[in-house]
Amino acid sequence: MAAGPTVKQLLQTYPGKIRLVVKNYPYKYRDFARIAAEASLAAQAQGRYWEMHDLMFTRSPKLDRASLIAYAGELGLDVPKFIKAIDGGDHAAEIDRDLQLAQSIDLYNTPTFYINGRQVVGERPFDFFKKIIDEELQLAGR
Amino acid sequence: MHMKKLLICLCVLLLSVMAQAEEKRTDVPIGDSPSMGPADAPVTIIEFIDFQ
Repeated sequence: MAAGPTVKQLLQTYPGKIRLVVKNYPYKYRDFARIAAEASLAAQAQGRYWEMHDLMFTRSPKLDRASLIAYAGELGLDVPKFIKAIDGGDHAAEIDRDLQLAQSIDLYNTPTFYINGRQVVGERPFDFFKKIIDEELQLAGR
Repeated sequence: MHMKKLLICLCVLLLSVMAQAEEKRTDVPIGDSPSMGPADAPVTIIEFIDFQ
């Protein structure tokens, strides 16, 4: 699962202070995890990553190929181009690179967060993140 | 006497700041992964996700 609402709330609480970066760790035994990651990056290639990210998060676990294509249409993406990308595995190398990175840092669970490098595993309440972010802002003198 | 108290306070403050600075940190390269927010933001959250 992605983190969604908690991270959104953090971004709203600290405008301009947080950079959010997303990496893919599609669990290999979930049928649509990999194609969903492909779909997110296919949307990124069309400059619409976050819209697709949010929509897939909302509609999860309905992430089969047909649903993903429907979402692409819903967002007004270039659908033939999108289909070509997900069917061709255009972003496989990027996903594999994220998976290798995850393996190299002993990550095997989602969501996992690195806040200025400090690891947080699993869903946590807003205040848990807030405490860490406040500490980091204090350290940075901001 | 006041000087001594002040010194102790400063030491405690310094130690607590050092303790925070010594949190275990993992270096995660950002590369060209999807991101939002300013590149020079004081806080970077890197999230590994599975949409399903």
